[in-house]
Amino acid sequence: MARSPILRAIAWLWFAASIAALVVGFRQAIFLAPTEATMGNLQRIFYYHVSHAILGLLWPYINLAASLAYLYWRRRDPLKALSADALAVASAEVTVLYAGICLASGMLWGKPAWGIWWAWDARLTTELILWLLYVSYLLLRRFSPTGQTGVLSAVLAVFAGIDVPIVFMSIRWWRTQHPAPVFGGGADSGIDPAMMPAFLWNLGGWAMFGIFLIGFRFALERRRQLAEQDAALIALEASLETPQ
Amino acid sequence: MTWQTFFDFSTMAHRHLVFVYAGVITAHLGYMGWIVRNWTRTTRHHG
Repeated sequence: MARSPILRAIAWLWFAASIAALVVGFRQAIFLAPTEATMGNLQRIFYYHVSHAILGLLWPYINLAASLAYLYWRRRDPLKALSADALAVASAEVTVLYAGICLASGMLWGKPAWGIWWAWDARLTTELILWLLYVSYLLLRRFSPTGQTGVLSAVLAVFAGIDVPIVFMSIRWWRTQHPAPVFGGGADSGIDPAMMPAFLWNLGGWAMFGIFLIGFRFALERRRQLAEQDAALIALEASLETPQ
Repeated sequence: MTWQTFFDFSTMAHRHLVFVYAGVITAHLGYMGWIVRNWTRTTRHHG
């Protein structure tokens, strides 16, 4: 394909730009951001934890949109449906990665800050359910019968998507061990303006890297689908050549 | 904060800070490595 070298160059440039943004983000978070008054250096976990938490609630919407597109196209345009299915699985895997990092980094932050690894409050529990939903999505894809995988996983993706706004609103609807919203939480919310560059560089850097991972995983899934089609065609041709 | 204080493992707070940063980077590199490994193993068979 003529566009393949251009796409490959864009992918490499995007990857390099995301690594550069993450290096700047690391430097900002560890060496330049001011030390927080109450928690000290422990608060620097914030820059990785919150970036992954926010993005872990955005990638599921790519999964939801791709799953709905798959359900729409699967009879009308099967080739487009295969692309949508590849995007759905790529975004689901990256959701598991980001939500998993959010949970693990939150626990590592919670133990020294609260004295406990875990609390069954609304935010932590709904985030854990979100992670489990996307793990079950991937397990369903792995073990469901061939031919049914796309439809079953797309339907599960619609239900998993419903949990996303519940996770987001949980610290607004209920009193939780987890802190109240840092951004958009009223007059007392927000962070020291000197911490904003570290937060924004990390949010941007991890967003760019997440988009790179989704794109790379999407390309791998398309490659696998095409290899499967080739193998099926070869098998069909071989069966036609066999003397009856 | 400096590199020296970043790698100061004397308190739980400092240890967990390093675990988070190292763990996040390792998880991302691990997932990317898994994709690269599968990419090299998946080849098209042109009939």
